[in-house]
Amino acid sequence: MRGRGGKQDLTLSQQLLFLRASPIVGGAGTVRENRLTWHTSVQPTPLARSYQADVVYSLGKTPTVQISEPDLELLAQGRPLPHVYTNPLRLCLHLPGIEDWDAAKRIDQTIIPWTYTWLFYFEDWLATDDWKGGGRHPGEEPEDPGNRALRRAMARF
Amino acid sequence: MNQMLRQSLTDSDIRRRTQIFSILDEICEDLDLTETQFERARQSYGAVGDWLSGSADPLLVSILVYLQGSSALGTAVKPIGRREFDVDLICFCAGVASGISPAVLKEAVGNRLKEHATYARLLEEKKRCWRLNYAGDFHLDLSPTIANPFCANRGELVPDRTLQEWHPTNPRAYKALFDERAALLPTFVRKHVAMQRDEATVEPFPVRETAKGILRRIVQLLKRHRDVFYENNTDDVAPISVIITTLAMQAYAYCVRRHVFEDEMDVLVETIRMMPHFIKRPILDGRQGYAILNETTHGENFADNWNKDERRAPTFYTWHKQALSDFEALRDAVGQDRLSLNMVRSFGSGVTGRVLGNRVDAVSDGRKSGLLSVAPLIGLTTSKAAASTAVPANTFFGDQ
Repeated sequence: MRGRGGKQDLTLSQQLLFLRASPIVGGAGTVRENRLTWHTSVQPTPLARSYQADVVYSLGKTPTVQISEPDLELLAQGRPLPHVYTNPLRLCLHLPGIEDWDAAKRIDQTIIPWTYTWLFYFEDWLATDDWKGGGRHPGEEPEDPGNRALRRAMARF
Repeated sequence: MNQMLRQSLTDSDIRRRTQIFSILDEICEDLDLTETQFERARQSYGAVGDWLSGSADPLLVSILVYLQGSSALGTAVKPIGRREFDVDLICFCAGVASGISPAVLKEAVGNRLKEHATYARLLEEKKRCWRLNYAGDFHLDLSPTIANPFCANRGELVPDRTLQEWHPTNPRAYKALFDERAALLPTFVRKHVAMQRDEATVEPFPVRETAKGILRRIVQLLKRHRDVFYENNTDDVAPISVIITTLAMQAYAYCVRRHVFEDEMDVLVETIRMMPHFIKRPILDGRQGYAILNETTHGENFADNWNKDERRAPTFYTWHKQALSDFEALRDAVGQDRLSLNMVRSFGSGVTGRVLGNRVDAVSDGRKSGLLSVAPLIGLTTSKAAASTAVPANTFFGDQ
């Protein structure tokens, strides 16, 4: 349904078409059994490694991004990774429940660019132990305590 | 041709290595004299020259004060652990005959400086020269010289360490030769190195044409590497700057005239590799010694000390081997973290943190202002690039 402001949830096939057409997204993917999978390599800058990323998305859920190569935990040499979900290891690219992501948004314009910035800050973190990408971890006070949506989102974790 | 033997580089390698050279260029800029410092030093030594010229002492009637050494060549690097740069000056006393004792001439220069209230306060006597300490900024080291009547190349004579004898030197011709070699431009294998650079200009940190040319940057990087390598060594055996500079300029000229290069990083590494080939091994006093000759006058061997202190030559070779392997590792680093670790080892953590931190800040600033985008082949950029996708605001989250 087309909502106010012209925004409408995108179907998996539409997401797939956008990913295929994007000049910044390489790789390939499919939609099968209500599940979109897309495999691509992401190199945040010419200095960075090229990472193999798998995006998985089903309607009603948020897209997940896993890095298959190289092994992020191996690169971290035992240090706990910042801004990930574990079991299985996925990148935490946005706060759940607030406006960063919703089903009307295009994966090629949100999840993919955020994967670039996540990996960029990750390599800096590997060298400096300092995550400069900002963000929040569960239990931390949100920057704006008046934001109820954010507080609700935090409370779920 | 040498490059036939090497594995050919992918476009992605070229983009990576172009960025690495650009970062090394930023390292040098960070460690260099700033424009302001250079201008202050220039004004100071101009004033010192005027003051010396105004002396009534007949030894000082015809004086020329000019820059020599790294600040003249454009190869200065900030010393580790203190704020003052060394700015080396020659005080050429053109009218003095070579019969004069070095000690007498040095004293005449010192006496004149002491007549000036400010200089008297800043003055410090060193073995062969006078130092004016401009605290927190730089110090000017003034070495008196006289004309060398036996040098066809308009060379000069400078006091030796003991102030007993005059030694041949030729700072003006040395600088002219260095500048001439620094102006040689390497030939690159593919025309598209230039094209890659055009693409690279849209990155968060545009790749700059190194303003100083590659040779000056090579010398600065090697000197910094030397300073870090010997930081905790108290033996005072580190290779002196003029040796590094002389071998680097000879190796650079040799390589640039004969080779075709992949890119700037290739020039850097191959120049370093060739440096030891320009160390001569003449028979001196019945045994095989070392010679790194000043090509612009007769009788100045920059490696004189290697023949007096047997630790020095092996120390040079140990440092050189490490430098070559460290610069190869910098060239081959994949991943900003790997590059960062290699840079810390070679140049120290302070300057590495500043240079790489600037790049991270540029991405973060772009993210905040909405100017950050992802461009094909290049990745994150704050410049307008064709077919790029904006990076929308987000808040990273996570279990841990």
